[in-house]
Amino acid sequence: MSPQELAEAIIPATADTRRRPPVWRFLKGHPQAAIGAAILIVFALIAILGPWIAPYGPREQVGPIFGTPSNPHPLGLDDAGIDILSLLIHGARITLIVGFTGALVAVLVGGTIGIISGYFGGRLDNLLMRVTDYFLVLPDLVLLIVVASIWGRSLRNIIIIIGLVYWTFMARLIRSQVKVVRERAYVKRAQALGASHLRIILRHVLPQVLPLILAQTVLMVALAIFLETAISFLGLGDPNAPSWGRMIENGFDRSAISYGAWWAIVPPGLAVAIVIMAFNMLGTAAEDALNPRLKVSHLLRRHFRMRPLPDKDAAR
Amino acid sequence: MRAGWSYVGRRALFALITILVAISLNFVLFRLAPGDRTSALRCQGCTQEFKAQVRAEFGLDRSVPEQYLVYVKETATGNLGRSFVTQQPVLAELWKPVRNTIPMVLLGTLFAISLGLTLGVVSAWRRGTITDRTSVWSGLLLYSLPTQWLALMLIFYAAGPLGLPTSDIADPYLAYENPGWWPELVDRLQHMVLPAATIGLVLFGEYTLITRSSMLEALGEDYILTARAKGLSNWQIVRRHALRNSLLPIVTLIFLSLGFILGGAILIETVFNYPGIGLQLYESVTERDYPMLQGGFLLLTVSVILMNFLADLLYFRLDPRVTE
Amino acid sequence: MSALAVEDLHVWFDLPGGRELHAVQGIDLALEPGERLGLVGESGCGKTTAILAMMGLLPPSASVAGRVLLAGGDILAGGDRTMRPHRWTDIAMVFQGAMNAFDPVRTVGDQIAEPLERAGLAAGRAARTRTAELLELVGISGERQDRYPHEFSGGMRQRAAIAMALACEPKVLLADEPTTALDVMVQAQILELLVRLTDELGLAMVLVTHDLPLVSQACTHAAVMYAGRIAETGTTRELHHAPLHPYTRMLFEATPDLRGTDAVRSIPGAPPRLDEPTVGCPFQPRCDRAFGPCATTRPPRRTTEPGHLTHCHLEGGA
Ligand SMILES: Nc1ncnc2c1ncn2[C@@H]1O[C@H](COP(=O)(O)OP(=O)(O)OP(=O)(O)O)[C@@H](O)[C@H]1O
Ligand code: SF4
Ligand SMILES: [Mg+2]
Repeated sequence: MSPQELAEAIIPATADTRRRPPVWRFLKGHPQAAIGAAILIVFALIAILGPWIAPYGPREQVGPIFGTPSNPHPLGLDDAGIDILSLLIHGARITLIVGFTGALVAVLVGGTIGIISGYFGGRLDNLLMRVTDYFLVLPDLVLLIVVASIWGRSLRNIIIIIGLVYWTFMARLIRSQVKVVRERAYVKRAQALGASHLRIILRHVLPQVLPLILAQTVLMVALAIFLETAISFLGLGDPNAPSWGRMIENGFDRSAISYGAWWAIVPPGLAVAIVIMAFNMLGTAAEDALNPRLKVSHLLRRHFRMRPLPDKDAAR
Repeated sequence: MRAGWSYVGRRALFALITILVAISLNFVLFRLAPGDRTSALRCQGCTQEFKAQVRAEFGLDRSVPEQYLVYVKETATGNLGRSFVTQQPVLAELWKPVRNTIPMVLLGTLFAISLGLTLGVVSAWRRGTITDRTSVWSGLLLYSLPTQWLALMLIFYAAGPLGLPTSDIADPYLAYENPGWWPELVDRLQHMVLPAATIGLVLFGEYTLITRSSMLEALGEDYILTARAKGLSNWQIVRRHALRNSLLPIVTLIFLSLGFILGGAILIETVFNYPGIGLQLYESVTERDYPMLQGGFLLLTVSVILMNFLADLLYFRLDPRVTE
Repeated sequence: MSALAVEDLHVWFDLPGGRELHAVQGIDLALEPGERLGLVGESGCGKTTAILAMMGLLPPSASVAGRVLLAGGDILAGGDRTMRPHRWTDIAMVFQGAMNAFDPVRTVGDQIAEPLERAGLAAGRAARTRTAELLELVGISGERQDRYPHEFSGGMRQRAAIAMALACEPKVLLADEPTTALDVMVQAQILELLVRLTDELGLAMVLVTHDLPLVSQACTHAAVMYAGRIAETGTTRELHHAPLHPYTRMLFEATPDLRGTDAVRSIPGAPPRLDEPTVGCPFQPRCDRAFGPCATTRPPRRTTEPGHLTHCHLEGGA
């Protein structure tokens, strides 16, 4: 299915945005999304409260190298004798910030280009889409490595790079949606009434494409976190930011495997997996809910039922 | 006879232009790095002769546009420069690890395709059943695991019980015994199992999820209802109508991802110390061997572009609608 | 014996939260071979649901009661099981929006021949010959059977869909808005085709449409549905010139006549919800002739001439 078709299938045909089910109703109807959201809230709280709830500092040596999990240190110690639980709590903030801001950069860049391209169309559209076509074929991970090794290791660079790699997906998706909305009667009417382009985009186009943008953003955060751990694992992470990705790298690099110190590697990876999974649960559920083409299936395993005729009098 | 060969022509042209753009981007990207190809910063252990040779080859004392032209010309003729570390031609240096990576990646991908597609189709067919839920959840889970971490987990928890090697591509002592091709092949395969399993598992999750939703979309189409009205059984409907339509987009997707997988192998090869293109790139990063990095990046980009083109061709073969 | 008879057909859809939507609330229809029945009514009144029930193509969320008789035998009694052998061989259908009725990656001929092979009527070369015949029958060159749906225009696809429906020589054809989304010229052609085919082949046809003038032109009989029930059914002439139900009268009044002089008048108000039981006549809030019993008593079924039925308390016609 082309993005164009997808867009046509997804966007509701009315301009009425009030009738759209509110977020809580979506969560109520989709347990998968609700569980995902609940997990994310817990991790967001950990990220926010990190410095207050972590038992130790992220650089504080509190015991022997690769100390085994024990009472004061339930997840053990890493290669520098730092408490892993504390690292995990401090790392939550960094990982989530990288994930969100990376996705945000991608959404802002891709969204702007997609809206301009889709709304104005014509030659500008052609040009912009050619450019995204070229970006789409760049192998993401390799591009990341190249750019990170040229620009140097810092959190800011990682965020920019993630945005750079993923804006193309957003741009294409949003463009095709905007193209559909642009043809709607109320947009045409607004144009005929002489409303400015900016106003039309903000008042009429954006509200229509927003739900799908949000769903995609959620999925993109997962990708961004995934990429951050990958960059960090290849030794290109920010040396000053103990993210979960860097914890995995550190464990691997300092031979946690030969020490048999699973606790240096399993917890951060598990944390990443849980958070990414939560984002994916929320994102795919939202995406599916927005896709009316998934609602009916004409392949049946059960059939319609027969029932007795209703009593004439009871049915009036 | 379909009047669509112009489509193939245009896709080929697009691929060519994209390759040119990739080459140019590669030039720009590495010009942004501090120093030129031979400065002390980047090529610390290089001899004066080596530097002079590189300077002459790539016209480094000329203006930037001229350098660009020289670079494009050299690249087109297959000269990607020389590695700073080994001082050998980059292309030859890249070829060896690529040769190691391809069978490993293919093994994993085949595993993922055969299992992922089957499970995705079954899952959509049995929508809402236990089978469906199990495969959706396992797909989501596998899709969410960081690749490198999954690889490490396999080393921790699977390698021991299964008696599989966790590092390198072959047993270094085996070569001395000269045991013949069979034990050597077995040894190679054993070294391939864990890396390939990692790729396979990660992709398996992704393929299951995509196939399922593609299949579900197809099953909601009007022509499926028509087929049912015509009295076809569920199996006939799936085999004759739903499968082809739902797998069409998947085929393209798989081809596209093949190109990316080659680059994505970098994480897995690092963990398993598997001497493929990924490990080569990783080492080039740590050793700041820019020509190798630049060459590797170009190689992988071009392979994605070629896969893209192949996908276009395949689509042309499979989908009668592709004509313009 | 009627080619198709529907007796007291009901369809309910399960809704979330254990509620039900009573989409079809007991309809009766009867068609002789060669008759064409136009089924009209506002959007959502249950036309498609009724048609799908006759084909046994309802989703699992549906439950059904009543009888669907083909040449006297009830095919609905055992649900999907008794329906299946008759589908397409005895009763076939042209879908609403037949544009998408064809699988885009298989040739049109292939899909027309599919039911032939399944029913064991023809295979291989014989199936190809038959497919070519069918296409010629609807005015398409038989050689085009190896083309793909996207190579057909909208009108041609609609014709091909009709050819596909006729493949197994059914006795009853159900056509759900077969001409919407086509331009006026093509609409007229398709309609002519359907009229010709029913005459030539002695088919009984149910034609669902929103287009009343079209019913007057093409159909021998008409049935007006309102809120899941038949408001009135009879010959087209009777309904047009001597309507018994105010809704029928208003529908014809609301349609610009063929000379196109009158402005379109709409019927104010909206049909009742089908997920709640209605008391009295469902049309009462919108009816200009409503009187005493209408709000409280369900209108009885009344007949004036044989075959001319209505559900209305009025006795002297609308
Ligand atoms: N699968 C379903 N589940 C629940 N309700 C349904 C379902 N299909 C139809 N309905 C409801 O049944 C009623 C009748 O729908 P139906 O599609 O038969 O109307 P129609 O007369 O064919 O309308 P139109 O002219 O728009 O095609 C509507 O209220 C509709 O909302
Ligand atoms: S029964 Fe009464 S309300 Fe209903 S249509 Fe007849 S007159 Fe109108
Ligand atoms: Mg309908």
